[in-house]
Amino acid sequence: MSTLLKHISPLAPDDSGACSVLYEMGGIVVICDAGGCAGNVCGFDEPRWHCKRSALFSAGLRDMDAILGRDDRLVEKLVKVTGQVEADFTAIIGTPVPAVIATDYHALERMSERRSGLPCIALPTDGTRLYDYGEELAYTELFRRFAEEGIEPKKGKLGIIGATPLNTGLMFAEKLIAAGKAMGFDEVVCFGLDSGLDEVKRAAECERLLVISPSGVKAAEYLNKRFGTPFEAGYPCLPEAVCESADGLSGKKVLVINQQFAANTLREKLKGCEVDCATWFALDKRYAHENDFRIKDEGTLRERIEQGGYDVIFADRDLWRAMKYFGGELIDFPHYAVSATLA
Amino acid sequence: MNKGFYVTAAELAASGFENIPDELVSSKHMIYSSPATLDFNSPGAKGFGVKRAGLVVPESVMLLVAPGCCGRNTALLNELGYNDKFFYLMLDDTDIVTGRYLKKIPKACAEIVEELDYTPSAIMICVTCVDALLGTDMERVCRSCAETSGVPCVPAYMYALTREKRLPPMGLARKSIYSLLEPQKRRSNECALMGFFSALEDGCEIYELLRRAGIKKIHEIGRCKTFEEYRQISRANFALVLNSEARAAAQDMEKRLGIPFIELTRLYRLGKIHNQYKLLGQAIGAEFDDSEFYDEAFDTVTAFKAKHGEVSFAVGECMNADSFELALALCEYGFRVAEIYGTIGERNFLFLRKLAEVSPETRVYSNLSPTMMGYERDCEINACIGTDAAYYHKDLPSVSWSGEEQPFGYRAVTLLFEQLDTALTEGKAVKI
Repeated sequence: MSTLLKHISPLAPDDSGACSVLYEMGGIVVICDAGGCAGNVCGFDEPRWHCKRSALFSAGLRDMDAILGRDDRLVEKLVKVTGQVEADFTAIIGTPVPAVIATDYHALERMSERRSGLPCIALPTDGTRLYDYGEELAYTELFRRFAEEGIEPKKGKLGIIGATPLNTGLMFAEKLIAAGKAMGFDEVVCFGLDSGLDEVKRAAECERLLVISPSGVKAAEYLNKRFGTPFEAGYPCLPEAVCESADGLSGKKVLVINQQFAANTLREKLKGCEVDCATWFALDKRYAHENDFRIKDEGTLRERIEQGGYDVIFADRDLWRAMKYFGGELIDFPHYAVSATLA
Repeated sequence: MNKGFYVTAAELAASGFENIPDELVSSKHMIYSSPATLDFNSPGAKGFGVKRAGLVVPESVMLLVAPGCCGRNTALLNELGYNDKFFYLMLDDTDIVTGRYLKKIPKACAEIVEELDYTPSAIMICVTCVDALLGTDMERVCRSCAETSGVPCVPAYMYALTREKRLPPMGLARKSIYSLLEPQKRRSNECALMGFFSALEDGCEIYELLRRAGIKKIHEIGRCKTFEEYRQISRANFALVLNSEARAAAQDMEKRLGIPFIELTRLYRLGKIHNQYKLLGQAIGAEFDDSEFYDEAFDTVTAFKAKHGEVSFAVGECMNADSFELALALCEYGFRVAEIYGTIGERNFLFLRKLAEVSPETRVYSNLSPTMMGYERDCEINACIGTDAAYYHKDLPSVSWSGEEQPFGYRAVTLLFEQLDTALTEGKAVKI
């Protein structure tokens, strides 16, 4: 059965992705749930929860709130918290509960803005999709709502989109900033990682954008269309251990499993190898090679591995349980959205 | 500046249970998933949430039927050796809208049985808020699953939406895990301890007291290694319920298996513990001589006080005690309780009233209030009890008091003060 996971645990969901993008933006972020989803985000998918403070709350919905559709109570609680915590905006993140009762997110946005006086973004995640979908929604909405007009591009400024712990396993931007500077830029900003809403407002200042995950492509396209900012895809933060493992594999057939742009970058390092990339998450055909594939389920993964004749597989250690049948070499390539392992 | 919202015990007692400020009532504000309490307020996180609790039945496995987000943090339990026990049937939006997934559940169960190289004792089918809202008849689904897979299937309701109901998720979980017991001849010299998912601490006096009363076998689910041992629980002549969340399970066992039960409470006031044992003795027709255990606990408290003086405590709620009862006990022993981070309910409001009499200035905070983002210590505290209290005061000696071996009775008092002594003597945190 394709929807049955027998060997691996569920991967990071869309609501975690949305929260990850908004985490450092200085807003009040409300996960529209009963408590469990917020627990998953704060206790598992958001490693910054223990070191960087963020106004991320659970709506604490109860059955009668959902059954009776008491959106007014949700807004009332939201307004109350705006009086207790300083914030530039509010955000409401969807989960299965509002999905089941078909919550009208636009109405929630309008009600919240009217009552609190702060801009509100409501993201219709539902917990059934994967984190990159939530990240894509959040990035796009952030730039659409907050990026300001009339700002001149600044020569030598690079903007990085996709820098979330879920994509990179990084909680701080230093490594990415250093990589951006090594590329010849004077100033590097990682939207949402060690930077807040002000940088989003000044997004037009970036001379160039580097998108490090497919979840950031749509936002980059939006900024390109609106401000003419050029962008490219890349992943300048491969873990050192992974890079070291890539040496000496020449002549081997290799499968790399990670988010697409990380996998692509490792492919470039695997000199002399025949490499296919695969991902459980979004696969953008524009950045894929012919034999790259999206993993739909454990069964598909097994089929492709058996057909592929690979000698080596780079994959997050938590996925190895689903590859016990593989007789070749397995090399750990951590992906936070899979195992919650930091880089 | 301390921005955490608090009310003093005196103010709370004066206003009454009906007028508790909104900031201390979780349904009336946004919930702050404070790092202080995170391990405890997320089902499936550390400790026993519904997922881990369901697997207390030996040799069982769990199928989580839910959107991916509900099972995401289950990987935390892999560290505890549960990675071969969880299976996930992932729901998408079409599943939810059409309900088609209900037909997939029996097939998934059959596939799980086929996948395993042993026959599980049961498949616990864990469902979440989605099914709470859709009103899924899980009893019926489980019957169908059992027919298809040939293995007993039991629902485990992880309904966070119903957390404050009369039968909350952890109450339902307890009911589920005892539901596989079948009637058999009861034995007069056997009893069952119910309430916790793990066993009582080995040194707890209740074992000795029951043994002296002629009980030869004490069943505890947390000590069952095999399904056969689990099945023997229904031989018990009576059950002792040590946690009120197991009341529904005990009532169900009384109805189905004819096993009567007696409720006891985990207390930290020595006099009350003594009274409770006295009443238990009367109920089962035995006379308990608990003096040696009483004396040991009393001496430990006395020695602690002589050594450390009038210590001022911060008492949390992430621990093996009721925050307010423990705070009351500490005050009655002559210590001070500066702050409590707890949740007030109808039952422990009684403790709060008494606390207000002996320590009116004790501040009561709610861990879940958004204002706790701005909490800072601004009063004298010398030591902390509870994981949450230790989080707020990382620089102070603390005892997490949240280990899996369950403390109870006099032994709980003795152990707690022994650990507090270690923490204060060495000036560090004791994580037990």
